[in-house]
Amino acid sequence: MLRAGLPLLLIGLLAGCGMIPPEPKTDAAKSVFTLYNVVFAMGVAVFLGVEGFIVYSVFRYRRRDDRLPPQTHGNTLVEIIWTAIPTVIVLILFILSISTLATVEAKSDPSQEGVSIEVDGFQWQWQFRYQDGDQNPDNDVSVIGDQANPPVMVVPVGEPIRLTLVSRDVIHSFFVPQFLIKRDLIPEPEGQDVNHLEFVVSEPGTYGGQCAEFCGDFHAKMTFSVQGVSRADYETWLADAKAGRTPQPSAQPGGQQLELTAANIAFDKTELRAKANQPITLKFTNTEAVPHNVVIIDASNKQLFKTDDLTGPNASGEFNVPALPAGEYTFFCSFHPTQMVGKLIIE
Amino acid sequence: MATTTLTPQADAYRRSWVLDWLTTVDHKKIGILYIVNSFLFFFAAGILALVIRSELAVPGLQFLDVQTYNQTFTMHGTIMIFLFVVPVLSGFANYVVPLQLGAPDMAFPRINALSFWLLPLGGGLIFTGYLFGGAAAEGWTGYVPLSSGQYAQGVGTDLWLIGLALVGTASILGAVNFITTIFKMRAPGMTLFRMPIFAWTVLVTATLILLATPVLTAGLIALFIDRNYGGHFFDPNAGGNPILWQHIFWFFGHPEVYIVILPAMGVVSEILPVFSRKPLFGYRAFVYATVGIGLLSFSVWAHHMFTTGKVLLPFFAFMTTLIAIPTGVKMFNWMATLWRGSISLTTPMLFAIGFIAMFLIGGISGVMLAQPPVDFHLQDTYFVVAHLHYVFFGGSVFGVFAAAYFWFPKMTGRRLNERLGKVHFWLHFIGFNLAFFPMHPLGISGMPRRIADYAPEPIWVFWNLVSTIGAFMIAVSVLPFLVNVVATLINGERVGDDPWEGNTLEWATTSPPPPYNFDRLPPVRSERPMFDLRHKHDAEQLSDQQLAVGPPADEAGNVAGEPGDGGSSS
Repeated sequence: MLRAGLPLLLIGLLAGCGMIPPEPKTDAAKSVFTLYNVVFAMGVAVFLGVEGFIVYSVFRYRRRDDRLPPQTHGNTLVEIIWTAIPTVIVLILFILSISTLATVEAKSDPSQEGVSIEVDGFQWQWQFRYQDGDQNPDNDVSVIGDQANPPVMVVPVGEPIRLTLVSRDVIHSFFVPQFLIKRDLIPEPEGQDVNHLEFVVSEPGTYGGQCAEFCGDFHAKMTFSVQGVSRADYETWLADAKAGRTPQPSAQPGGQQLELTAANIAFDKTELRAKANQPITLKFTNTEAVPHNVVIIDASNKQLFKTDDLTGPNASGEFNVPALPAGEYTFFCSFHPTQMVGKLIIE
Repeated sequence: MATTTLTPQADAYRRSWVLDWLTTVDHKKIGILYIVNSFLFFFAAGILALVIRSELAVPGLQFLDVQTYNQTFTMHGTIMIFLFVVPVLSGFANYVVPLQLGAPDMAFPRINALSFWLLPLGGGLIFTGYLFGGAAAEGWTGYVPLSSGQYAQGVGTDLWLIGLALVGTASILGAVNFITTIFKMRAPGMTLFRMPIFAWTVLVTATLILLATPVLTAGLIALFIDRNYGGHFFDPNAGGNPILWQHIFWFFGHPEVYIVILPAMGVVSEILPVFSRKPLFGYRAFVYATVGIGLLSFSVWAHHMFTTGKVLLPFFAFMTTLIAIPTGVKMFNWMATLWRGSISLTTPMLFAIGFIAMFLIGGISGVMLAQPPVDFHLQDTYFVVAHLHYVFFGGSVFGVFAAAYFWFPKMTGRRLNERLGKVHFWLHFIGFNLAFFPMHPLGISGMPRRIADYAPEPIWVFWNLVSTIGAFMIAVSVLPFLVNVVATLINGERVGDDPWEGNTLEWATTSPPPPYNFDRLPPVRSERPMFDLRHKHDAEQLSDQQLAVGPPADEAGNVAGEPGDGGSSS
């Protein structure tokens, strides 16, 4: 009895744990958590009622003889009642969720305290730019991640964190399970508003997150974390990061840097070398007013990496190439694949 | 009434068996072609599902690289939805609906054949991506910019677009055919409100297909132009809008969900009354609920886009929540049909009850997802995967198997073995819940969908392994079904024309029916003409005059697909 019961109890317990969201760590998440539990409880009640009815009917009304049961075709009153009951339930549900929605979507006055961060998603990592308000992005503290060292967003607890969500390439989604929220990062045409997300972290701690919108090959590697600290610790961290002293987490992605320049429809190098299984930062410069890019493919012509398309005359960008296993790869410009091509040797 | 003795006059000239099936315009043969073709795609996409579950059994990448993984889940979803669930239900509708209406064939038999033959062509094209540098790998939803020329450079995505456009065209043609057949070819006496409920659900489904699928086709063509001819419909760098694709896709995609579930609901609503020996409780309410779901389905698409920040949340949340009402009415009607019935737990009945029990869970998780704040947490996690599998698999696929066991005797004259059928059901039922229930806690605890690898959190490791075991159990459960089909075809029990004591007209002819379907029809005085016929002495004086119909060639100008007998001029 006990031996059979214990594993069952364990499974039940685990199921119980899994059926309730993680402990909420932002103010808004707490109201979502409450709403979830209300909706879930209603669902469980409906589930038990209906399944219980079905199981009971199947056992109680099993065919015993050839007599025909009463041929009930319907009952208008009953139909009206059981149309009305779900209507009332869903209306209550709707009002509850709309009022919770107002809490979740509430925006604080931007002139007040708080931190504004631009979250920049790209294939396949994140960059967090702390906006200091002087409109000059060059002196902002920026944290960029790579797949081996996912970035950490350090934020003060107890005050509003305002995220501006932008994407350079495809759609990504900023998701922190313990905040019970996600919001998409959408590459918008010029002039369209990008998404914003605001939350107040309610207690110190490190909360894992990852991209929730499928974004290609290394979607699963787009992890990050949010670290809630006291205001004083946040100030210290920010000052250190600004002064170039670490601990600016993983500010320098990868160990190795490669440089490549395009001029006169040609690359300046036809062979690049790097170490295996380490992320690579590729600094790519285009010196002419013709679009170029760098695409890396493996021996079976599978595309592994691609820079943005850059158009000069003096366009430059740093790109994070994922760690590659040892071997020979080809890099080329997809606009000029025959003229601009070279070998990448990973050893 | 049930013994047709008229000699088929199909011997004008002889064709080989293969040529006969390849060129047939008989709705029954086309229906069987649909079903067989769909099951072949089901097995292919099921193997892809096993590949996915094997990779996810434990954390870390074991035997797939990320690109292969992404292709695998993309093809799994695409094939299962577009080439299994939708066409297999069309197949049953093709076989059964003309019989239920007392019609000799579909309205346009040749268009019927065309809409079938586009399916293997389209499905084949989608698969050929594997031969040309890799299949599409952007998920079955194909979101841009990921599926644009810049980020998905292989031809796999182009083949996916063309294949889907062909499959969509096939279902549009089929929808036109069903609507015409249902409106113009019902037996004398069969008013719309005496029509079998399955035919009703097929009518609503066909209307949804007709209104929704052209929108998807337009989107597919626009994306094809973007990818190949310098278009900018969805390109944000040139002023296009990636969210537009999501609107187009889901404007089709949400009615698609009902395209897939309504016929299965129809199947269940045919089976429950037969094996409870009662009429469907609230026939008219059920019809209104079906039409209501169909109408509402066009105003809820953006609930797939709550986290994009680009849609009017209260409106779409409200409309989505409203769908719970007609769905609830159906649920209550099914429960009331069972109540005080005389229930026989045959295999089709088990699958039909399984449908209600499992679809309920999908419905509840659907209402949870319809609440925007809850959706902000659950969207794009495994909870959504659990929800859609409880609807598509727990709902539609249970309905498909219920239909297979229920109508197999009509198609072949032989009944599938009940013992093997019950083994199939229980393995299937337990395997299904082991595979998909764990995806609820996985999603609630924050595991995103469509990831090739996941963090080794204890709760994720545990439930993923359980889910993989369940997936293999489902695969095993298909074996008794296959054995059953083959063994029954070779040496199954012959059970006569109407083994279940059915209610509707398909049971009024022989099993299998002759090419022209009926040589006489019973009078249609209710939605259960066959029940009335069996119990005409119990009920008050019904007309016991059988209504004779003329020779098949005179009926509606169409003869059931036998060239050479001079009747088919359509």
